[in-house]
Amino acid sequence: MLDVQQITVRFGGVVALNAVSARFDKPVSGIIGPNGAGKTTLMNVLSGFVSPSDGAVDCDGQNLLTLAPFKRPHWGLRRSFQKEEIADDLTVFENVLVQIDHSPTGPLSKHEEVTKMLDYVGMSDRANKPGADLNSFERRLTDIAKCLVGQPKIVMFDEPAGGLSVDETHRLGALIKGIHALTGAQTLVIDHDVDLIQQICAEALVLDFGKTIAFGATNDVLADPKVKAAYLGTEEV
Amino acid sequence: MVNTLFRVTPSGWAGMACLALAIFIVPEIVGTRWLSVFTSTGCFALAIAGVAFMYARLGMVSLTQVGLMGVGGWVTLRLNHAFDFPFEVNMGIAALVTMICGWILALPALRMRGLYLALVTLMAAGGLEIMFATFQFPNGGDGFWGVQTGSSDPFRRPWLAQSPQAYMRYVFVCVALGFVFIEIHRRLKPGRAWALIRRSEAAAIAAGVNVTLYKTWAFGIAGLLAGGAGALLAGSLGLLDDGTFRASESVMIFALAVVGGARYWYGAILAAVLFRVLPALLNNWGVDADLSFVIFGAGLLHAVITAPDGIAGQIRDALLSRRKGANSGKGGADA
Repeated sequence: MLDVQQITVRFGGVVALNAVSARFDKPVSGIIGPNGAGKTTLMNVLSGFVSPSDGAVDCDGQNLLTLAPFKRPHWGLRRSFQKEEIADDLTVFENVLVQIDHSPTGPLSKHEEVTKMLDYVGMSDRANKPGADLNSFERRLTDIAKCLVGQPKIVMFDEPAGGLSVDETHRLGALIKGIHALTGAQTLVIDHDVDLIQQICAEALVLDFGKTIAFGATNDVLADPKVKAAYLGTEEV
Repeated sequence: MVNTLFRVTPSGWAGMACLALAIFIVPEIVGTRWLSVFTSTGCFALAIAGVAFMYARLGMVSLTQVGLMGVGGWVTLRLNHAFDFPFEVNMGIAALVTMICGWILALPALRMRGLYLALVTLMAAGGLEIMFATFQFPNGGDGFWGVQTGSSDPFRRPWLAQSPQAYMRYVFVCVALGFVFIEIHRRLKPGRAWALIRRSEAAAIAAGVNVTLYKTWAFGIAGLLAGGAGALLAGSLGLLDDGTFRASESVMIFALAVVGGARYWYGAILAAVLFRVLPALLNNWGVDADLSFVIFGAGLLHAVITAPDGIAGQIRDALLSRRKGANSGKGGADA
C-alpha cells in the first residue's frame, strides 16, 4: 500500500502540490487531471526528482522520501517518463538489463529476469535490436519491460499511451493490468486517456491546480461533478 | 543478447590487423625521425581515446587532456630521476596519480554540463600550463621539482624496449591495451550506465544508476589514459618541454577527436595521425606545418555539418553500405 500524506511542493511562489494525500491500495491506480494539475510533480516527488516542502510517502513501512533518488529503484520503485527513455546505442536486452544492473540478484538471474519480461511485453524476438532501430511502440514496450524487472514494488507510468494508436493503447492497457499478477507490484498510471484509466484503474486520484478534487473508485470519481467541471472547464458545482 | 565480453567484432579484427602492422611492418620500414613521429602519434592516440570516450559515452567535453598528459609525464620523469623503479612502475604510478587528478577535476565539473563543463576543464588546463611553464619538467636536478640547468640525466626506458623500433612497438601495445580497457568498460555495467546517462540523467537515476559515481569514474579513466600517454611520451623523448602541454593543445585534440570520430577506436587513431603525422608530412614537403590548422578547421566544419560521427563514422557507414550492397546483390543473384 502506498500512502501519500500531505505532500506540498512549492516552486517559488507557485504551489504545485497543495497538501495532497491519498492511500493507494489497489493493484492499478490512476492519477488524472488537466494539464498543470500536478500529476507529474507528484510522480517526481515519489521518484525523488522533486523534494516536497512538507509531507511524507510511506510504502510497506518505508518512508520513500528518506531514500536518495538513485536508491529508490533498488528499493523497488520503477517509473517511465512521458518520452520513453531508451538508449539508442544499447540493444533492447541491454536497455532492460541496465535497470537491474545495480540491484541485488533476486530468485531469477538477471538474464532470466530480462528474458521473462521481454517475453511478457512481446519483445523477446527483438532483444538484439539496437534502441535506435525501434519504433515508438517498441520503445514504449521496452520501457515497460524495464519497469518490470527486479521485483518492483511500485511501478509508475507517466502518460504511457501518449502518441499510441487505439489498438496499441488497448494492448498497453492489458499489459499494465497484468503487472500485479506477474510481479506483485502496485501500479500508478498518469494519462489523459480517460478510457484507458477506466479500463485499467480500480481507483483514481484527480488533481487540479495542485489540489485533490476527488479520490476513490474510478467510475465514481469520473462521475463526480467536480471532476467533470475540471475537465470540461465548466463552472464548479 | 548482451555484448559478450570476449566477442571479437569485425572492428576488433581490423584493430588487431592495424596493431600487427604497427608492430611488425612499420618499425622495419621507416627511419628514426618517422619512428619518433609514429611513437608520439601512438601516445596522443591513447590520450585522445580518453577524451573521445568521455564525449562519446557521456557527452562530456573535457579540455584538460593534454594538461593531464603533462601531469603523467611530470610524475614519470620525477620518479625516473628520484628512484630506480622500472619504467612500468613509474608509468603505473603516473597513470594512477593522473587518474586521481581526473577525479579531483571531476568534483566541480560534475555539477556542470556542456559549455560550462568545457570552460571549467579549459581553465584547469590553463592552470596546468602555467604550472609546467613555471616549474618545468624534472631532468635530474635536486629538490622536489628536480630541475637542473644544462644537460638532462639519462632516462630509463622499459628493458623490453631500448631501441626506437622496440619502443614504438611497446607504445602501440600500450595503446591497444588502452583501447581494450575502454571496450571492456563499454561492454559491461559501466558502459550501459553511461549510455543511459548520455540519454538522460533522470532516466539513469530512475534505473538506480549513481550518476555522480559513474561520471567520476569516466573522468578517472580519461585521466588514467592521459597519464599513461604522458608517461609513454616522456619515455619516447627522455625529457619533456612545457610547450607540448599548452591548453590550446587540449582544445585541438578534442576538436580532432570529433573530426576523427569519437565513438570509434580508429577515430582516435585518425585524430592522432592528423595531429602528429600531418604536420610532419607538411614539413617533409617543404610546406609550413601551420597549414595543418587550416586543414583541421575545415575537417571540424565538415564533421559538425555533415559527419557527426567523424571520419571514422563515414568509413563505417561506407563499409556497411558496401556490405549491404554486396548482400543484396548476392540475394538478387540467388533469386
